[in-house]
Amino acid sequence: MTSSRRLNCITPPFILTRLLDSDNADIRQAALATLLTTAQLRGERRVRGLIAGALSMQGDGRRSIYNCKHSTFLPSAKLARSEDDGPVKDAAVNRAYEGFGTTRSFYREVFQRDSIDGHGMRLQGYVHRGTRYNNAFWDGQEMVFGDGDGEVFTDFTGSLDVIAHELGHGITEHTAGLEYHNQSGALNESLSDVAGSMVKQWFLKQTAEQADWLIGNDVFTPSIDADALRSMKAPGTAFDNKLFGKDPQPAHMDNFVKLPDTEDGDNGGVHVNSGIPNKAFYLVATGIGGNSWEAPGHIWYESLRASTQTTDFQEFADTTFTKAAELYGAGSSQQQAVKEAWAQVGISITTTPTLLGRV
Amino acid sequence: MRVSLTTRGGLAAPIVRRLPPRVLDTDQLPDTDARELRRLVAAATADPGGAHPAPAARDAVTYTITIDDNSRSTTLTSADTSMSRAFGDLLTWVERHTS
Ligand SMILES: [Zn+2]
Repeated sequence: MTSSRRLNCITPPFILTRLLDSDNADIRQAALATLLTTAQLRGERRVRGLIAGALSMQGDGRRSIYNCKHSTFLPSAKLARSEDDGPVKDAAVNRAYEGFGTTRSFYREVFQRDSIDGHGMRLQGYVHRGTRYNNAFWDGQEMVFGDGDGEVFTDFTGSLDVIAHELGHGITEHTAGLEYHNQSGALNESLSDVAGSMVKQWFLKQTAEQADWLIGNDVFTPSIDADALRSMKAPGTAFDNKLFGKDPQPAHMDNFVKLPDTEDGDNGGVHVNSGIPNKAFYLVATGIGGNSWEAPGHIWYESLRASTQTTDFQEFADTTFTKAAELYGAGSSQQQAVKEAWAQVGISITTTPTLLGRV
Repeated sequence: MRVSLTTRGGLAAPIVRRLPPRVLDTDQLPDTDARELRRLVAAATADPGGAHPAPAARDAVTYTITIDDNSRSTTLTSADTSMSRAFGDLLTWVERHTS
């Protein structure tokens, strides 16, 4: 391109190129128009405005935390802390802000991934949502946290693994886009638990052997007799009490729970059957040894990126086996650990040996 | 009038589904609260919002509010990301007045 001098006085070309990937069609169009016909841009204030807006919108996963003040209506929430602001009085705001920061650093340093979409997408969190709200969720664009009812659950911003779990849903959405029902949905849930556990272990500098492998061990009030929401090390053992019974998660395909694909059936048990791939990841991490976010995390992350909307447990297991060979060599100890882990949860790798050389 | 709230789904779906429903009865409420509850129920019934969470939502909760008034029973269903403000106001009020 010969017009770099003129481009420079408005926006660096590499940023314009990046804007071509924007989710916003107007911004893509504006960036394209700018790259193609810079000369015509002079005086086009509307297009410049769009690009200026896009620049402040991108920015390496800048954080904004909003306070819902117990409303269920997000548009009425007030901005409580944004990137570069110091701590505020509200501890939930600060926890969400710090949790986003830790998770963002994890993806940047471990997987060289720039925020949720890989292009510096803004991280937006909403805290104090609703009244006695026992949940945290990803709404497709942003993360939303409840304070808990104070009887069973406490504030969901108190759990780094929960924060990374929700952010993990955003990453899955921007990569494989796994459909949120039945096996692909349980795999989607598992990948968020894997994200949650890796971020927590990375933050605490724990090896796979040292880690507790619990998800949401901070979400209960002290009066509740439960270890966590889920255990990746021993699915089905996170809780067993009078109030809400026993943890229903299976750890093996023999115990796969068939549930209706309805909201009442947890979309085919996405939060139940995730126990199976969760256990497989735990077994790979302890089988390989060391830090979960190193070889095990890289095998899982590359498999996530190679998956599609309908990937099921078997296909994902096969992909991890292929990726382990690509990353560490066919027949490597890492690849063996992957094969053995899936076998222990009842899934035999079906990738044909001819495609991979020796197995 | 008896109002009961059950929730399904969410990050803690297997636990939440086993928690008892939140129940309120206008017979056991002071007159002003009973009137307020009837007003909120009427508003939410007229406009509950969408019945299901947005397709892109993950770990969203679906709420079912059942209203039994004499022999009539009405069920309202809505979810995180899709509920109307009126449904959200009723939900909030029920949460504040049960324990
Ligand atoms: Zn989830």
